[in-house]
This record gives sequence, C-alpha cells and structure tokens, in this order.
Amino acid sequence: MPTNPSRLAYFPGCAMKDQARPDELGTLQALALLGYEVEEIPRWNCCGTVYSLAQDDLMRHVGPVRNLVRVQGMGEKRVLTLCAMCYGTLTRSARFVEEPERLERINAFMDTEDDFRGGIEVVHLLTLLRDEVGYEKLASQVKRSLDGLKVATYYGCVLLRPREFAVDDPERPEVMERVVEALGGTPTVFPERMECCGAYLTVGRSDVVEDRAGRILRSARGNGADLVVTTCPLCQFNLDKRRPAGAPSLPVLYLGQILAWAMGVDEPAVAALLTDEPATGKPVPSGV
Amino acid sequence: MNEITVFIMGKGYRVPAGLTIMKAMEYAGYLLNRGCGCRGGYCGACATVYRLPGDYKLYADLACQTPVQDGMYIAQLPFTPAERPAYALENLTPDGATLLALFPELARCVACNTCTKACPQKLEVMDAVQSSLRGDIRQVAEFTFDCVSCGLCTMRCPAEISHHHVWQLSRRLNGAYLTPRAEHVKTRVEEIAAGKFKGELDKLVTMTKDELVAAYKARQIEA
Amino acid sequence: MGTYPREIQESIERVEATRPARLANKPARLTLQEQETLLKGFHPDYRAEGKRKLKVGASWGEPVPHELADLLEAYPLLDPGSVDVSKPDHDVDLLVIGGGGAGTVAAIWAHRSGIPAERIVIATKLRHGDSNSIMAQGGIQAADKPHDSPAIHYLDVLGGGHFTNDPKLVRAMVEDAPELIRWHEDLGVMYDKAPDGTMSTIHGGGTSRKRMHSAKDYTGLEIMRVLRDEARTQGIATIEFSPAVELLTDGQGQVVGAVLWNLETSEYTVVRAKATVLATGGWGRLHIQGFPTTNHYGATADGLVLAYRAGAKLRDLDAVQYHPTGAAYPDQLVGLLITEKVRGMDAQPLNRMGEVFVHPLEPRDVESAAFIRECALPEKGGRGLGVVTPTGMVGVWLDTPMVDMIHGPGAFERALSSIYRMYVRFDINPTKEPILVYPTLHYQNGGVVIDEHGWTGIPGLYAAGEVEGGVHGKNRLMGNSLLDYNVFGRRAGIAAAGWAKKASPGTPTLTHARRYAEQLKSAGVAPERKAPILLPEYRGEKALSRMVDLL
Repeated sequence: MPTNPSRLAYFPGCAMKDQARPDELGTLQALALLGYEVEEIPRWNCCGTVYSLAQDDLMRHVGPVRNLVRVQGMGEKRVLTLCAMCYGTLTRSARFVEEPERLERINAFMDTEDDFRGGIEVVHLLTLLRDEVGYEKLASQVKRSLDGLKVATYYGCVLLRPREFAVDDPERPEVMERVVEALGGTPTVFPERMECCGAYLTVGRSDVVEDRAGRILRSARGNGADLVVTTCPLCQFNLDKRRPAGAPSLPVLYLGQILAWAMGVDEPAVAALLTDEPATGKPVPSGV
Repeated sequence: MNEITVFIMGKGYRVPAGLTIMKAMEYAGYLLNRGCGCRGGYCGACATVYRLPGDYKLYADLACQTPVQDGMYIAQLPFTPAERPAYALENLTPDGATLLALFPELARCVACNTCTKACPQKLEVMDAVQSSLRGDIRQVAEFTFDCVSCGLCTMRCPAEISHHHVWQLSRRLNGAYLTPRAEHVKTRVEEIAAGKFKGELDKLVTMTKDELVAAYKARQIEA
Repeated sequence: MGTYPREIQESIERVEATRPARLANKPARLTLQEQETLLKGFHPDYRAEGKRKLKVGASWGEPVPHELADLLEAYPLLDPGSVDVSKPDHDVDLLVIGGGGAGTVAAIWAHRSGIPAERIVIATKLRHGDSNSIMAQGGIQAADKPHDSPAIHYLDVLGGGHFTNDPKLVRAMVEDAPELIRWHEDLGVMYDKAPDGTMSTIHGGGTSRKRMHSAKDYTGLEIMRVLRDEARTQGIATIEFSPAVELLTDGQGQVVGAVLWNLETSEYTVVRAKATVLATGGWGRLHIQGFPTTNHYGATADGLVLAYRAGAKLRDLDAVQYHPTGAAYPDQLVGLLITEKVRGMDAQPLNRMGEVFVHPLEPRDVESAAFIRECALPEKGGRGLGVVTPTGMVGVWLDTPMVDMIHGPGAFERALSSIYRMYVRFDINPTKEPILVYPTLHYQNGGVVIDEHGWTGIPGLYAAGEVEGGVHGKNRLMGNSLLDYNVFGRRAGIAAAGWAKKASPGTPTLTHARRYAEQLKSAGVAPERKAPILLPEYRGEKALSRMVDLL
C-alpha cells in the first residue's frame, strides 16, 4: 500500500498526555502547519520506558512491539515520537526483533494480535525536522523569530546513547542547535548538554538528581542561556522540579513549545520570555 | 441425560451437559461458601480457571456464567490477595500522579495483555492500565465500569498490579471530581431542607385510603 | 442466527412481523379495577394453598408462605448449650449483621455519628458486598427533577403498594431520597448524566415521573462497591463468612449483639454490642412456590428468623415480589434478572403470536400476573399463548430489538451492557432477537416492623433494607429498594449510634431463643426443623434448574 508521505503515525507515550502535554499540543499544531497529517496510533500502550539490556528478555519487548503492530495495522511504515525515552525504547525493540527467531517467539506470545512483520522505522521529531522538513524549509515557515533568544540545547542521554541509534553524532551533536537557529534563536552550547539528569534516581534519591540538575542549570546559565530546551519529559521534570534552592531560575521548556511559538501558535510560556505578556502557560486539567 | 466428565480440582465427576461450572460442582456434591455469591455474573466471587483437553491454554471465567465442557479441568480461586492502600477521596486530586503514588506497581506493566485475556467481562484491561499510566482517569473509569472485581487479571499479572483497587479509585475520582454535579439534585435538597414540600406531605400522610386512591388516579403521567 | 430452536424461530418471525405496527402505537395502561382482577386471578400471592398462618410468636395468626413459615416455626440452629455467650469474643458499640447495602450504609453513618470505626463490626455471611444490592440493575428513584416532587413520589409508592404501606416510612424515604443521591455524588458514584451534569432519568413500572437514576445496568454494583470502598476508607472492620445464627438478649428486653457462625472453621464467635443493626436482606433463595430467583446465594431470610425469635413483629410477608422479567431461556440463565430498564427503554412484552398483551410498565405484581395469565393454559383460566422452550420452561417475548430502533443503534449495548454480555455468551444477540422471560422471585416486600428511625421496637435492635417491611406495603416499585436501603440504612445507623452512646447492656444470654423453642414445643412443632438455614441446598439433583410448575 503506498503511504501518503505527509501522513505520520504518531506514538505519544504516557508523558505527552500528562506532564508533557504542552510539548504535544505545541508540536502537533506546528506539524500541521508544516503540512503533516499526524494520526495518533490506536490503543497504544506505554513504550516500555526502561528497556531491558538482557538479550533473552523478550517479555520487556512485548509492549514496544505491540505498539509497532498498531503502526503496521494503520498501513504505515514509520512512527513519530516526541519523547526521547519513547524513541529509544521503541527503536531498540524494533531492532531487537529484526532477528527472526525472536520475532517468531514474540509473535507466538502475542496471540491476540496480528503477527508483526518488522520494517517499521521509529522517527524522532528532531530527525524529522532535519531529514525531511530540512532546516531551510523550517526557517522559511517561521512566523515569528525567537529573536536571538539564547537557548541551551539539552540532549541528556537517550537521544545520543547507545550510539547505534543516536539521533546525531553522539560526541558532537548539532541537530538541536540547528533547529534552534532555524527558528531564529541562538543556541547555547554548554558542556553539560549531554550529561545525565539523574533519571529515575528522582524516585528514591532525589538528592542526587538535585545535585545534577543544579550543575546542568548553572552551566547553562553560566554560558548565557535564557532558557533550556529538551525533548525528554523526565529530563524536563528533573531539571525543573528537582531544581535545588539557589540554582538559576531559567525556564526548562520542551522543543515543541519553542517550535510552536515560532510557527505562530499561541504558546504562553515562550511568549512570556519574549513579550511583556504575563506567563499563564500552566495547562489546566480538564473538567475539574 | 447427556453426561460429560469434568475434573474438579483433579477429581473426575460425571455431570449433565449444559450445567454451568457452579451448578456442576453442586451436582457433584460441593457445598459452596467461598466461590459463590450472586450466581448471576455481578459479584465476581466465583473466579475460576480451567484447562481443556489437548489445549495448552489456561482459561479464566466466572463459574456461574460458564457451561462445563467434556474433559474440563476446573479450579476455583476463592480469594485474591490485593492490598488497597489507605486513602480518603477528599484528600486526592484526580490525576495520574495520584494513581502512581498509591499504586506504583502500575509502572511495571509490560503490556503483555495477559490481564485482558483473563477478563471474564471481556474488558480491555491492559488498555485501562495504560490509561492509568498516562493519567486519563475518565478513560480508566469508562474502560473498567463493568469490572466485577473477580481478581482474575490480578492473579495473572506479571507486573503484580492490583487492578480492581486501581479501578475502584479511578471510578470514584471520575464520579466525584471529573463529572459535573447535578444542579437539580442540589436544588431539590435545599428545597426539602427549606420545607417546601412539608405541607403537602403532612396532608398526604393523613389522607384516607379513598382520598389517596383518588389522588393516585388523578396523577399526570409524564410522557 | 442465534441458538433458538426452529419452533421458537417461527414465533420470532411473528414478532418481527408485528413490530412496525407496535412501534407506532403504544399499549394502554390498565385501570385499577383491571389490575385487581388480574392480580386476583393470576398472581401467585392469591393462591391460598401457598401460605399458612403462623402458630407462634409476635405475629401469631398472620399468613406467610409455607417456605418462610417452615423457618419461623423451627428450632434454633445454635444449640444453646454449646457456647458460652456470656464471654464475648468481641465487645463493640455497634454490630451490623449483613454486609450488603443497608449494613454498609448503617456502619458508615454510625461512624459519622460519632462511633469510632474500631467500635463497629460488620458481620456478613459471604464477602462484604455479596448481596442483592450488588445485583440491582435498573436504578434508584429520587424525586429531584423540577417537574417532580417528593409528594408525587409518595403517591407512586403508595399506589404501587396498593395503599398498604406505612405512611411515615414512605414519607421518610421520599424526603431523604435527593439528599442520598447527592451523597452518592460526593462519594463518586458514576451516575448516568448529561454532559452538564443533569441526571439521565427514565420511568420504572408504576412511576408517574421519570425519576429512575441509573449507572448503566450495573446501578446496584456501582453504588455498592463505592459504599464498600468508603467503609474501607473509614477503617470499619468486617467479619466475612460469618453469618449470625442467633441474636443475644440481656434479660432486660435488650438485644446486645449476636452469635456468629464461621462457615470456614465451624466455630462460634460471640459479639456483644450496645446496638445491633439487622441488615440481612431477603428471602429469594427460599424459592417460594418453586419459583426461580434473581437473588444472591445468601438470601435465606435469616434476619426474619432471628428477629422474630427476639420478639420483633413482622408484616406484609404474605406478599412476594415476582419480577416479571426473569430469563426463561437459555437454561443456564433461567431466573436471572432482566432489568425493568429494558422495558423502561421501550421493549414490549409479547405472546407467542407477537401480540402485545400488557403495557410494559405496570407495577411489578400486575405485570407478572399478566405474564402468567398469558402463559397459563386455557383450562386453568389462562390464554395459553406462552412460548414453550425445549426443556419445558415457558415464557413470553421481551422485544429487545425495539430498544435500538427507538433509542438509536448502540443504545442497548451502552445502557444495558450486563444484559447484552449475559446473552451474547450464549450466542443470542438481544439487539437483533427478542429474549424469553417469565416471572422470577425477586423481593421480600414485607419484613420486620420498624419505625422511621429503623427501630424495631426492641431496645438495641434496628433493621434496614430488605429485611424490614412497611415501606413498600404489599408491592415494591422498581428503584425503591436501592433507595430503601440507603434511606433506612442511614437512619438506622444514626439511631443505633445514638442508642449505643447511652445504652447499658447486661450480660448476653440466649434466653429468648430458649423461650421461643418452648413455645414451638407447646404448639406441637416437631423438633427436626432448624433455622436459620444460612445457605440453600443445591447439591446433587437439586443443582438442576428449577422449573416452574404453573402450567
């Protein structure tokens, strides 16, 4: 079945529906303006979050592969993620089941689903913007420039590690900086941009995470940044919510938020940095 | 009478075809106390697992709703250990963080779908777990409304989630916080407290039967 | 399509043929006179041979069904010599006997009235929540819409009960109703609502306003599980699989707790309590006149037996509620409840010829009598127009496909998902094919006499829910049982808490039970019969479906 190049199967992941909602709202509006028909995959489940490193632990791949089965069911060949973590987990599983014996065992276990046939590519927002939209086209679509805003580009771990499916050169990445430039901002390259935020230690050892968050934020601010941008909801949470007392107060936003603002979409958190409008950007849970 | 053989906890019995598992056990002489409640598919007391000859699968269903089959191996699950954490509805907010704080094991779901396959009510149990993870309480409440808390999913779950407790909390959060209140109920409660219907009711309780019959006949019936 | 045998299929074709005309014209309601004729001719309550007058006790001379009389005129199951009741295992302020709706509501409100949670015990025969409360499908009444009022609700209740109800109980029920719905909203009960929060309400049999609130067709389950969760929140203890086998009295006329029987370990547990709420539910599992029942497994009238021995008066127990629409096919479903909501959503009852023979929403006793007349053979005064199934069961059609035709595709599955699920398991799709129904034993209309605070007249003993009588008179309307247990559960809980705060109970004894046994002996009752029976007997051949012997 020929696929419509502008149609994009989209895997949100849990965080996009909860704490990272501004990222999803902004990105989806921006992608629509860039000409994409984004379609959320039906009945998706958690990506799996923490992937198993054991070679024989098939159970941990059932969840991610089930999502890929849904993409296959839509007749699509690729699936978009915004979340760095989902990107890593889905990609890892897609590669894991390239080995026929593993695929067969997973299919045998998932007897209520169609067999997965493989061949689904997992695409992250950054690589989509780089490889398909292109920086030039992106720049040409900008409705209002970020106007030289100094944006610290924070990659964290999973976009770049493991090397086999890093979104960019794991030593010298530039994709996020190029995107910021295309949007009219000034990327702030800072030494801590690839350091781990502390990840799940946030649950049991928040002191460790606070220490790391403080270091990352001080480094970003020390290099002149007005804000930090990330694509990982866990990084965003740790940098923002585990910010230790006395650490720089610069905002930690999602890439989707600056993308949306530049494309002309209402985005209060960015607007607050660039205009005199008061920040009211906290999304309100519906119905309460 | 057409008879078949069933194995109740390993022991074989000849029972009439067409009985439910529950009635077959009684026919075989079991006096049920655990494993039997409403006998109509509402209470979830009679969670049962079984296998069929020549079939590797372990099936799960309610004994009161499932007909016996020849060669069936049957065992009932009299109880599902599952902890309900202490909470008071009035201290909670209806979001995913609340669910994860009270039921952190939700995050252990590997999406294996075993829960869904075990559900006698044919609910999309795994989808409900996933909705919990993303904080979509309303969706959880709707997916699980028909849950009878039989515990079969909980007993089969490799992530060790206590599903029915999560669902119960989610439905209460949905009903109390995510659904608008009925204004007309509030109004009527206030009217009654203010004595609006007192006079009329005072009169009704002292009426003779003939007067009541006349008033009853004179009622307008809402179309 | 479906699993109906060929001879029944032919009748379905007639049902389909008459459907267009029936969709256009609604049948008329019966006059009071016509209702009475129908009841006298065909309602099982009017068969004199089904009852006898009680030979002993506070309601001496009152007629009750043989099945109940056999239990009231029976010796204590508990051998008074086998347990020392003066040494209680638990000593509490409040003992609630019964873990269904009424008991749970009573416990919650006693706690809210100042009794500490650790001073309350709910004892229940099966699990907490195993009850008829959990099985109620259709809904709960409350006059809370602008064009309705408690006074109109009052009239509906009295008319449904043939004007035999206790007026002050009815008043309490209709006046409290909206407040309890409000309370349920606070607790998080998911009622069916419009997007703006307005309750979706429909008619029930015998209502003059659409005041039936529902939670799909799991209304009872939804309310019960929320109440149970709330009781757990409050930390109220339950003792499961421990039915009460006898009340305790202290020689000064006070009830001071009960003796429980642990079904699993076969041991007695003595609970001394300052106040006791009896919330043991009804009698469906007595299978009065051989009818199948919608009731849960433990509905064996234990509470009536216990209270009667302690001196409580009973009322209206000559009136049995047969729900018009119990399933009649397939065999595995016989007797199970098909909620009145199906008729509330416009499905019509039809005979074998596909003709509608009664308005779908007459009061339950009238509707049941009409079904029985339609099925009974002409030589027994009936019309002989029922549908006979291969196993000899008989029934009338309930034209379920009309629901989606009138309310839109998907309406049945959405609003009646439990019924839908129940039939689809047996390859019958109720949105495409009608279903067969016949009256089934559903409710104990009467019970222990109480005042408007749930007090039985015996110091320390309160009653709530199906075990009590007077609220519904001789016939309960749909949606008033869930309401009853909420209203009187709350009232009994509050009143019992008030009593417990000032009560000074003496040493527990079984004197009243001994005395009652002596009375039985003087009345010439043979010593073999024991009560309460706790569980119905279905072992062996009795496991086979009960067939209705009315034809």
